[in-house]
Amino acid sequence: MVLAYVGLSILAGGPKDAIEMLRFALPYMHRGKLKVGDSAPDAQLVALDGATRFHIRARSNGRPLVLVFGSFT
Amino acid sequence: MQIYEDYKDHADFLTIYIREAHPLDEWRMKSNEKDKDDVCYAQPKTLAQRVAIANDFTQRFKFPVPFGVDEMNNAANDAYAAWPERLYILDESGRISYKGGNGPFLYDPKEVRAWLAQRYGEVKHAEPAPEKKS
Repeated sequence: MVLAYVGLSILAGGPKDAIEMLRFALPYMHRGKLKVGDSAPDAQLVALDGATRFHIRARSNGRPLVLVFGSFT
Repeated sequence: MQIYEDYKDHADFLTIYIREAHPLDEWRMKSNEKDKDDVCYAQPKTLAQRVAIANDFTQRFKFPVPFGVDEMNNAANDAYAAWPERLYILDESGRISYKGGNGPFLYDPKEVRAWLAQRYGEVKHAEPAPEKKS
């Protein structure tokens, strides 16, 4: 248990980071069930004007669509 | 984003802003505070807050890639298991053709470039010159 905590602290950047990683990161980090070849799920997004809605799949225009998920921090 | 500049004539790109990875009120990272850009935000509680951060990001970095913001129910994030960052490629028929790993450790744009290069050949435009500081 102690070794696991030390290892997690090293991975996360420090003891405090290890606790915050367990609390705030692990609940949201999933490998997911999607596989190559699966039909891509669709979801509604909001444009930068804060009002316009559009769907992910509507942006493909008959070409491959590269999706880049992320945040600022 | 150089891959976008190189392959935007062949493929469509969409950046999807999802819940923050290291906001001030959750797993805060010292590196963000030390960063010259001072990237410090609390986790957005409303869509307006999420949109405001997304606009700050795109304007600060003059980010050219088409952009969408995940709804507060995190539907896109949940559908693609995307947090904290992840890359996918959907093919012309709407199927998953490439699924990247979870960032930061398994987030690898080189794999996306390789997929595009295999399909369309190597493309490499000159990177834009950095802006001169006045």
